Amino acid sequence: MENLIIKANGLSKIYNKDANGEVAALRNVSLDIRKGELIAIMGASGSGKSTLMNLLGCLDKPSAGTLLFDDVEVSKLGDRELALLRNKKIGFVFQSYNLLARTSALENVELPLIYSDKVNISKLAKDALDAVGLADRIHHHPGELSGGQQQRVAIARALVNDPDIIFADEPTGNLDTKSSYEIITLFQKLNEEGRTIVLVTHEQDIAEHTKRIIKISDGRIVSDELNNSPKNAESELNKILKEVQNEN
Amino acid sequence: MKITKSIRISRSQLLSHKLRTALALLGIVIGVSAVIVMVAVGNGAQKEVLSQIESMGTDLIIINAGQVQRSTGRQQISGTVTTLTLQDANIIATECPDVKIAVPVQTKKMQVKWGNLSSNTTITGTTPDYQKVRNFYSENGDFFTEEDDKASVRNAVLGQTVVKNLFGSSDPVGEKILIGRVTFNVVGVMESKGVDLNGIDQDDQIFIPLQTALRRVFNLTYINTINVQPHSSDKMETAVIQISEFLRDRHRLNRLNKPDDFTIQTQVELLETQKETTDTFTTLIVSIASISLLVGGIGILAIMLIAIRERVNEIGLRMAVGASKKDILIQFVIEASILSISGGIIGIIIGIIISVVMSLATSWSLSISIPSIIYSFIFSLIVGMFFGVYPARKASLLDPIEALRNE
Ligand SMILES: Nc1ncnc2c1ncn2[C@@H]1O[C@H](COP(=O)(O)OP(=O)(O)OP(=O)(O)O)[C@@H](O)[C@H]1O
Ligand SMILES: [Mg+2]
Repeated sequence: MENLIIKANGLSKIYNKDANGEVAALRNVSLDIRKGELIAIMGASGSGKSTLMNLLGCLDKPSAGTLLFDDVEVSKLGDRELALLRNKKIGFVFQSYNLLARTSALENVELPLIYSDKVNISKLAKDALDAVGLADRIHHHPGELSGGQQQRVAIARALVNDPDIIFADEPTGNLDTKSSYEIITLFQKLNEEGRTIVLVTHEQDIAEHTKRIIKISDGRIVSDELNNSPKNAESELNKILKEVQNEN
Repeated sequence: MKITKSIRISRSQLLSHKLRTALALLGIVIGVSAVIVMVAVGNGAQKEVLSQIESMGTDLIIINAGQVQRSTGRQQISGTVTTLTLQDANIIATECPDVKIAVPVQTKKMQVKWGNLSSNTTITGTTPDYQKVRNFYSENGDFFTEEDDKASVRNAVLGQTVVKNLFGSSDPVGEKILIGRVTFNVVGVMESKGVDLNGIDQDDQIFIPLQTALRRVFNLTYINTINVQPHSSDKMETAVIQISEFLRDRHRLNRLNKPDDFTIQTQVELLETQKETTDTFTTLIVSIASISLLVGGIGILAIMLIAIRERVNEIGLRMAVGASKKDILIQFVIEASILSISGGIIGIIIGIIISVVMSLATSWSLSISIPSIIYSFIFSLIVGMFFGVYPARKASLLDPIEALRNE
């Protein structure tokens, strides 16, 4: 198939937690991800969303099943090649931002570039921060930024190496409605520019802004549907802003 | 990833944890500066000893009455030995072809008075040739003469310590002093010679003619030392053999099959003794240095392990954005190396400062040795890398997901 980025086949992840026995976080999950998609993965807490994301993002290894990334079987890659894949082709946004506390926004965004062979690192990092609307905050440390701003720094970091696909694990999980819409607006814009994005959410409203919604429960995919009329986050954001203005 | 980038990351990491970095450095700093100071002290001491030996003349042979026992580098003569005589000294020069001058000496500690001031000092009865053999001359006034000795004249030449103790700043030449109960004329003052290898102040003595000393002051007929100068330095060994054979024969030791009743020492032997002492000292320095640098290395190990535990999350993140195991390994090895290199450099600076301050504050002559700086620096670098590798490897083997989960 053309434009296929990821092909997951029968992925399982089993944790041997304690003497009580095994926890199957993921059972026999298969799915394809094509270029240009904007996907939401939904499910209850503990259903295996993060586990799936980590496997798709090549951060974790499955207990069973195979994962093809650009037609290459990920489990066959060596450490060096795996690092290269994560660096060049994948951008990851974590639920808890995971920024380095003692370094500036700019340095945080530079982090993936350090491990690439790119030159002109700080120019690229500035461009990425500009793209997420933080051009005026580049020298702020994470502690000096709001939750939404921190998450945007994390998105800039995921963007900076121009990856094939961006994974975002509950990017709005810790944010208020306004900040959430700002982040989703950003993702929709990035998707319109042609980027493939997979995000995890447990909010139906957020999911309705994507083009494809995958629901999982107890480690299995229970539904995988296209959403032909995704909501526009920007107009909703404007609505909220107007309401705030009227109140004042 | 380029090394320069790793160095930049490590540097900013170390700078953002200043206290911890300082603690990690401490061991190496102390180790390196201790080595530099100790070596400087040791070198200074050795130079001092060498200059003392040289100031006595390297072609000096000393014959002492009795068996000299050497303990820890210092010499002691057991009991009073009466076997060495003035005649022995007088004939050695003629009987031993390689001997140029032989100078008899008898010494005794006695009380000396000038006016109502008194002092206890060593009275050395000898002949004017003593100056030549010991390379120790009078500076102010004259030494006594051969004639003074033959006629048992009561002339005395004072060492500078004696002058200081009795006369202070006034000129002693021409004054009269009392040695025991005998009055002497001060005819001269010796140049300053300092402390000899046995720790004895050579300026704390009064020289008087040997005949005068034996007859009028000590009331003795024997002497305790003969200082000998061979015709040239390369005649040392043959001169020693000739003297030994001559004295054994003259003291009838061969016939009675007795051991030597005298001891012959040369400056060469003294130098060797000195070298042994220095070697012991060097071994001591090396072991202390190794221990302190080892402790420094363990300091780095501990701090690195703490740093890695604290930065598990960061390591996971770096892996998630594309750092390979090798990148992580290199980063932490570099971090440990930066620690040990800066520890080494600070240690060198502190070591030099302490050495300089010590030599200014005390009268010790210190000489800072370049090899000690280079060795301790290289050693600290190796220690740092060695103790850095284990934590770095530990970090590189972390699983990115496990590491990211860590809070
Ligand atoms: N390292 C682990 N060891 C043991 N069990 C684990 C581990 N990680 C996850 N699990 C288990 O696997 C299951 C799925 O976890 P996962 O984190 O994927 O859930 P999730 O859908 O992301 O939940 P949430 O919405 O709360 O983030 C859970 O039951 C969890 O307890
Ligand atoms: Mg989760």
